[in-house]
Amino acid sequence: MATNPMYQFQVHRIGPEIKIAGFDLSFTNASLFMLLSATAICVTLFLGTKEKNIIPDKLQLISEMFYNFIAKMINDTAGSKAKPYFPFIFSLFMFVLFCNMLGMIPYSFTVTSHIIVTLLMAIFIFIAVTIIGFLKHGFGYLKLFVPSGVPIVLLPLITVIEIISYLSRPVSLSVRLFANMMAGHTMLKVFGGFVISLGMLGGWLPLGFSVALTGLEILVAFLQAYVFAILTCIYLNDALNLHH
Amino acid sequence: MADFKDFKTRLKIAKEKLKKHSNNLNNKENSSFMGSAFKLGTELVAAVAVGTIIGFILDNWFDTKPWLMIFFFFLGSVAGILNVIKVAKRMQEKD
Repeated sequence: MATNPMYQFQVHRIGPEIKIAGFDLSFTNASLFMLLSATAICVTLFLGTKEKNIIPDKLQLISEMFYNFIAKMINDTAGSKAKPYFPFIFSLFMFVLFCNMLGMIPYSFTVTSHIIVTLLMAIFIFIAVTIIGFLKHGFGYLKLFVPSGVPIVLLPLITVIEIISYLSRPVSLSVRLFANMMAGHTMLKVFGGFVISLGMLGGWLPLGFSVALTGLEILVAFLQAYVFAILTCIYLNDALNLHH
Repeated sequence: MADFKDFKTRLKIAKEKLKKHSNNLNNKENSSFMGSAFKLGTELVAAVAVGTIIGFILDNWFDTKPWLMIFFFFLGSVAGILNVIKVAKRMQEKD
């Protein structure tokens, strides 16, 4: 059972079954790890910002680094108009990052390796960005689908293509995170299985691979959180500063 | 107060060290390029998938199986390539 590389992705209930209006709302290991990462973020940032020293300690340094990193990223990609959305993007980045990183601990559960989690976040971003776009520009936001300088004959075709390209945003955003996390964790488990099945004689090579892959996975965990956040910024930029 | 002065000189030294390293720090941007590289693949696939799904739904509405799905598959592919070009252009602008 545990040697199955996909076993790690199974969601199972912890504690009693809770059913409200026909929906299964039981507390699962997925909920547990979401809660854990949210708590970890709160604790890190709370302890990090409690004492404001000139010479920061490690936690303060980390908190300030995260803050600066996201603030700079938003400023670079979406401009100063995107400042009001900093709290949202910061929480998004921290949540994805901590979920990814907690997933790297052996025997833990990676929340972001489930498409339902990432798709929900992506659809939320997609709808929010669309609403922001319409609020800021009214029906002028539809100009996003009509690039300038296109011959009138091609316009209907181009518009349909642009709409498909717009609709593909949440899909690419969510699939990227989910696929990267799931593929990485499956691969780690498969190589781990090789170590056991090849034993003392041949197990050293896959063990080396496992170590290297763990390093790569930590990089990917950070990178995917970064990409998720920066793409949100880029979409926000499209909605705030309409230019074509 | 002596402590503070000590801190100032240490800050100065640290800043100078940072300046020396700033050339090496450019390597940091490689990670964001790697992120862009990850981005390109899914961008292409997602648009094709979305196009095909739209075609499938429209087919069910208008009872024109499988023509609209085929048509929208190609439109989706075009949209995917367009997405990749957009991302690549954005990457070039950064340089």
